[in-house]
Amino acid sequence: MLEILSRDDIYRIHMASLEILEQVGVVFKHKEALRIFEDAGASVDHTKELVKMPEHLVKWALGKTPRQVDLLARNPRHDLRLGDGHVHYTNGYGADHVLDFETGQRRESTIKDLENFTRMADYFENVEYVYPSIFPRDVPKAIVDRCIYLALLRNTSKHCANSFLDLDGFRDIVKMATILVGDEEEFARKSAILDTNATTAPPLKYAEHTVACIIENGKYKMPATIHSAALAGASAPVTMAGTLAQMNAENLAALVLYQIVGPGTPIIYGTIASNLDLKTGIPAVGSPECGLINVALVQIAHQYNLPSYGTAGVIDAKIPDEQAAVETLQNVLLTALAGGDFIHDAVYSILETGLTACYEQFVVGYEIVNRVKRIIQGIEVTDETLALDIIKDVGVEGSYLKQRSALRHTRKHLLREHWQPAISDRLPRSIWTGKGSKTMMQNAREKAREILETHNPEPLDRDVQARLDAFIKGIAKKNLEQD
Amino acid sequence: MASEDILRMLRTAVADGDPERAEQLTREALTKGEPPLDVLDSLVTGVRELGEKFGKGEVFIPDLIMGGQAMKAGSDVLKPALKGQDKERMLGTILIGTVKGDVHSIGKDIVATMLESEGFEIRDLGEDVPDKVFVEKVKELTPDALGLSSLMTMTMPAQRDVIDALGRDKIRSNVRVLIGGAPTTRQWAEEIAADGWAGDAVSAAKEARRILAKN
Repeated sequence: MLEILSRDDIYRIHMASLEILEQVGVVFKHKEALRIFEDAGASVDHTKELVKMPEHLVKWALGKTPRQVDLLARNPRHDLRLGDGHVHYTNGYGADHVLDFETGQRRESTIKDLENFTRMADYFENVEYVYPSIFPRDVPKAIVDRCIYLALLRNTSKHCANSFLDLDGFRDIVKMATILVGDEEEFARKSAILDTNATTAPPLKYAEHTVACIIENGKYKMPATIHSAALAGASAPVTMAGTLAQMNAENLAALVLYQIVGPGTPIIYGTIASNLDLKTGIPAVGSPECGLINVALVQIAHQYNLPSYGTAGVIDAKIPDEQAAVETLQNVLLTALAGGDFIHDAVYSILETGLTACYEQFVVGYEIVNRVKRIIQGIEVTDETLALDIIKDVGVEGSYLKQRSALRHTRKHLLREHWQPAISDRLPRSIWTGKGSKTMMQNAREKAREILETHNPEPLDRDVQARLDAFIKGIAKKNLEQD
Repeated sequence: MASEDILRMLRTAVADGDPERAEQLTREALTKGEPPLDVLDSLVTGVRELGEKFGKGEVFIPDLIMGGQAMKAGSDVLKPALKGQDKERMLGTILIGTVKGDVHSIGKDIVATMLESEGFEIRDLGEDVPDKVFVEKVKELTPDALGLSSLMTMTMPAQRDVIDALGRDKIRSNVRVLIGGAPTTRQWAEEIAADGWAGDAVSAAKEARRILAKN
């Protein structure tokens, strides 16, 4: 397993984080949260909305947090367990622009794009749980998070990640998930059909709506992702070590609140951090530093016995070019080699620091993650794979493409031992030329078209669909009346 | 020390981003009887040189911000001596803030520093600023321009809300509005009838000068 921090390094980062939590504190812009922290033994400055927490509170909270996280899917075949030693992958989140599939022009994204990207995510077997790749611009803001959830449910039977814009959105999406699973009693058992998250507004601050959703989650104990959004050099120290200490403090602060309001809430510990490009003022998300932060956070999460959450394949490039492929491959491979439990933004489709989605890039991301999966599968050494019998059968100057036992052995192990590309070219030049000298991007385009034309996700139950449609109509109407 | 020496050193102190030295040299220059407007020139030239280098990618944002702080340290000392003389040199006052619902500050802070180092006077209202506060502060401080930052698609509509609120209070024509932030576009600026748009910190100063020149 790839390690970039020694045990001593991790210990020093942990101690630095505790010192930050105890001496600097974290701002929680939420009155009730301040009272909750105070009751739990933290020192609270109500005017500054500042919480300083002692080491024992952090230890208590870590002790309450489960080691594994189950995520449930509409089809139980897609249920996932994080923290079981396997690396899991997802797609990207939230592009508000798209490179149009037909014209190639950059335009605002639509709910139709969200449906298309979700259908592709449903098709790609390496997208193990599905994020909304698109933040549609043609839906009223007041109900957009609910519409996103419905679009996800209609286009994939895998676990759907959501992002609530505010507490009302959180509550409505809980209602929608309740409709999906049946009733409130069933939802209480299956709240892991949803998940929630807490992002910092660094340095060392949580915004009001984030805190409100953490507190609300106490009722349901849905799995929660905690991920500092630090930007090294701007909202955290320029040095990676200092950034990690601050990120860890921010993550632990959220973890403590989740555990106070809902002891035993499953936590996925992670990062959406990177460094700020200090020449342009824009986050550098495809940077080697972003990869290093991801690897370090995997190590820190594992030190706490928590499953990790990475944001590893994000891209700075503006078009689906060589830079885009290099950036995704570099950081997904690093994080997978480190044994990250769950790599978000791995099967990546979004260019320009998360702003502009690209259909072709999604297929490239799929290919990249399949390569990575083969690499971390590694080399299995057993009697069967050492193949001594076969080597003896073939002997000297024989051929593994002639000898029958060798051919049988090859056919048996080929697909597991040798990765098969979907869109990378390995043809001899003459045939490649004959087929039109296609680039990887052209192959990706053809694959995307094929998926969009042929893949039909498992449909939602008709009655559930009708009730969800009616629910959305109801809140849309209510919003209209309020306006 | 010859007078051009101390002014040159002051310019270098600003370009090096050394606020303590810039403050000390400004004091010395005034004690030696340098004309305050020449001292101001040194401060501004120092930052401008830095800005040019930044534009070429030769220096980084922290260098620029430290340069801005050095200029400010010098001009704070200089202010009493300038009284009335610098009016025509100031480019204008800009009120700036991140709109309601958005807690991001970095982009807005960088823009504020760039504008400040270009010679604008900046009043920063911070983050997650309600429309009402923008309107009140425009009335109270009568800035030449108002800068509205939004880093998230979800909070972009709040930029329009502020502009509409200014209209309702009939003070929209009193102030030029400059919008910016990662998800914003010039098209969006036109749609919500902002006067200017800056996609990044580097172009913000240029755009601010452009929209204020319209006056």
